[in-house]
Amino acid sequence: MSINAPVNPPANHLSNQALASSNKDVSKVERNHSLWSLAFKKLIKDKVALSCILVIFGYVLVAILSKFGIIGANWAESVAASYAPPSGDLWLGADIFGRSVLVKTLMGTRVAVSVGLITVMVSVPLGIFFGAVSGYFGGFIDEIITWFYTTLASIPNIMLLISLTFVLGKGITSVYIALGITSWIGLCRMIRGEVMKHKTREYVQAATAIGASNYRKLFIHILPNVFHIVIIESSLLFQTAVKSEVILSFLGLGVQDLPSWGKMIDESKMELARGVWWQLAGATIAMFFLLLSLNLLGDALRDALDPKLKGKD
Amino acid sequence: MSQVNVLFNALSRKSVLALSWICVLSLFLFSSSCTKKNEVGENVLKIRVPIEFKGFDPIEANDLYSSDEIGRVYEALLEQHYLKRPFELKPNLAEAMPEVSTDGLTYTFKLKKGVMFHDDKCFPNGAGRELVAKDVEYSLRRLADPKLPSLGFWIIDGKIKGLNEWRDKSKSKDKTDYDEAIEGIKVVDSHTIQFVLTGPFPQFLYALSMPFSVIVAREAVEHYKENFMNHPVGTGPFLTGEYVRSNKLIYTRNPKYRDEFYPSEGEESDKASGLLADAGKKLPIVDKIEVSVIVEDQPAWLNFLRGEIDFLPVPKDEFTNVVTSEGVLNPKLADKGILGQKAQGLDVIYTAFNMEDPLFKNNLNLRIAMSMAYDIAKMNHLFWNNLSIPAQSVVPPGVSGYDPNYKNPYRQYDVAKAKEYLAKAGYPDGKGLPEIEYYISHGTSGRQEGEAFQGMMKAINVNIKLNVIPWTELQNLVSNKRAQMYTMSWAADYPEAENFLKILYGPNKAPGSNGGNFDDPNFNKQFEIASVMQDTPERTALYDKANKYAGEQLPLIFQFHRVRYIVQQGWMRNYKFSEFTTFNSKYYGIDAAKKSELLPKLK
Repeated sequence: MSINAPVNPPANHLSNQALASSNKDVSKVERNHSLWSLAFKKLIKDKVALSCILVIFGYVLVAILSKFGIIGANWAESVAASYAPPSGDLWLGADIFGRSVLVKTLMGTRVAVSVGLITVMVSVPLGIFFGAVSGYFGGFIDEIITWFYTTLASIPNIMLLISLTFVLGKGITSVYIALGITSWIGLCRMIRGEVMKHKTREYVQAATAIGASNYRKLFIHILPNVFHIVIIESSLLFQTAVKSEVILSFLGLGVQDLPSWGKMIDESKMELARGVWWQLAGATIAMFFLLLSLNLLGDALRDALDPKLKGKD
Repeated sequence: MSQVNVLFNALSRKSVLALSWICVLSLFLFSSSCTKKNEVGENVLKIRVPIEFKGFDPIEANDLYSSDEIGRVYEALLEQHYLKRPFELKPNLAEAMPEVSTDGLTYTFKLKKGVMFHDDKCFPNGAGRELVAKDVEYSLRRLADPKLPSLGFWIIDGKIKGLNEWRDKSKSKDKTDYDEAIEGIKVVDSHTIQFVLTGPFPQFLYALSMPFSVIVAREAVEHYKENFMNHPVGTGPFLTGEYVRSNKLIYTRNPKYRDEFYPSEGEESDKASGLLADAGKKLPIVDKIEVSVIVEDQPAWLNFLRGEIDFLPVPKDEFTNVVTSEGVLNPKLADKGILGQKAQGLDVIYTAFNMEDPLFKNNLNLRIAMSMAYDIAKMNHLFWNNLSIPAQSVVPPGVSGYDPNYKNPYRQYDVAKAKEYLAKAGYPDGKGLPEIEYYISHGTSGRQEGEAFQGMMKAINVNIKLNVIPWTELQNLVSNKRAQMYTMSWAADYPEAENFLKILYGPNKAPGSNGGNFDDPNFNKQFEIASVMQDTPERTALYDKANKYAGEQLPLIFQFHRVRYIVQQGWMRNYKFSEFTTFNSKYYGIDAAKKSELLPKLK
């Protein structure tokens, strides 16, 4: 730990730099305000962002409750006549088998949220690792990684997903894996760029001067300083994953045994002919609010965390 | 260049603008008058097909839609009579029905004289030549050629003397020798051909009426080689035009088509329904056919409502809008001149058990349990608008060997009994029964049907893992015996019980047509005896017995014989539903006067 003392505490580095550049009276700013706490304060003040967080939290809660069988455990039971229209008891009507569309929509949340979360959990470490290693070491390693992700990115995303689910077999696990291993490229590129920028900075040179190892410089010093990108990207990744799951399920390649928004839209494409609009409505409204909140939150996070945007408001 | 500039400068900006407006307007007027002429003046039949058809090589025509396209351009020796029911074969390229020797093994066909192939550059001077007996021989040999991707060899496999030997010999050769003699196919003279069979095969004539055995010209095959698929040169009533935007195919009347006439006999009801009004008229009746590939039901339906398609089976989800609760056509549609009719196909939908799977093999009680848990009435309501006929076994109504009074005791819905049988099978309350892999193709309502099946089995504690997969993948799994249970349908190639019972005949196991791999010595024996008999009451009785026997062995969960509701435009003439549509387009007609009267009502 002693070796760390002369170097700028990494997390403070950016905020100090930002403060210096904004040319304000440094003495008035409390010293213990890190980038994170500043960002958090800013986010709390933003009402839109706050309500987005609440909405997302609501979705997650529904997902957790249905995971533990508190909501929608009996979604497969028929509760009304086939294609019963929406009514006071049955807010979103019933599907072909008389199952409640509302319950199916809530169960669809579980699939959507789990796909979003797990995709982020798989692709973020991949993106960070490849981006950081390639940006930091450069040279041959960088060339190989860049070649690899450029090749991967040149394949149209949906085609790649479809072929992956064909190889892995259908089901939710394949969707997790397929989305996880195809979604890290954007993040990887950004991390690579940021790491390249940071590795020539003084605080890294200082670490080098006192003999810090590559591992230490990369993961202890540089990474915390580019971590805000990961947060912003994650919220965007999450919503891309939700959309992709819907597309895959619509094509019949996604979730098999659970209700999913994509499957509901697939069914409703024919049912609309007989005037049954409620499955489509349920799935699209649920999707709309989740995706909108994630997008708005992504924007708010960027505003709060990106030092380049600091002081613009 | 400078002159042009001068000219432009001379014209004011305003006049240029006015001129361009005039150009645009006249173009618009010109084009709209063109479409109008096209729609009303010409005798054009408009048909929808729901899948991209494969192409025009008859030896690969194992699906309905490719067969239909082939039947517009090519012809076979025989065809099903357009109007008569029960179905009856009639000569087409043959002059008359063949002479059959007393032992039933030698068939002698005389061909019509003056049948000409379409004009095509593959012939000398581009003029089509006369069809001769050699062409018939050549076409059947192509079906048996091991070097070609023939999907129809099964119709004559092992039936014609020497043909299989020739096929086997050709396998080891670099090039198939089409000139080597085959004992069972003799070209007697230019217009006479004789077939000698290896044994009794009463279905032989049906085989010669199928799209696989239409007659092609050797010159065309050799000239176009791999591209023969896209260059049909037949003798049929229509010539192919070109693909328009890859989703439309246009045919025009063959001006050199020989004298063939619309039939003057049919069923008793045909006269009243106007199907005999065109009796004696020269075929084909329409000048042009437009075939549109429209995969989804919804756009096809909208096109029908706009008068862009002449006839269509009503999509499942449109049914309640089309047919009233009294079972008649919605008056709103009837006012526009649209007509509707129920049409029962010769087919059976079933869910098969893979009988080679240890779980189902020798466990009749388990199969009974699952069959009795299958709620046929509910399925008919949800997916077939209560129109279809619940199947008791494989043979459908309309085929001799079907007994309308027969109720398969294991085919009736009874959950309590199903549970009893499940216990007898060794799985009381489903305990100890592994999850069963079930496959269904990802059609319009495949997933919903699968979920319904899953739900019904869950009611007796049988767990089903639902796999909704593309049609080609399902075919693959079934032919490799890897599908534990699956749903498919079988439609008639010809109207005979043999064609249905064969899907349960042991030696036809996958990759043959018996995808469930049912192999019961008792049934096999009954089938072998009946299938080589001529059409007699004894044979019908045997078919009936075999059908019931197989029904109670439950190699399949029998579902439905499909009944569809078909609508047609008021201007369409001579539409009679048939399971065998391949050669029918020459009979269809369009009443141009009526069309110009009714079309404005639709738009």
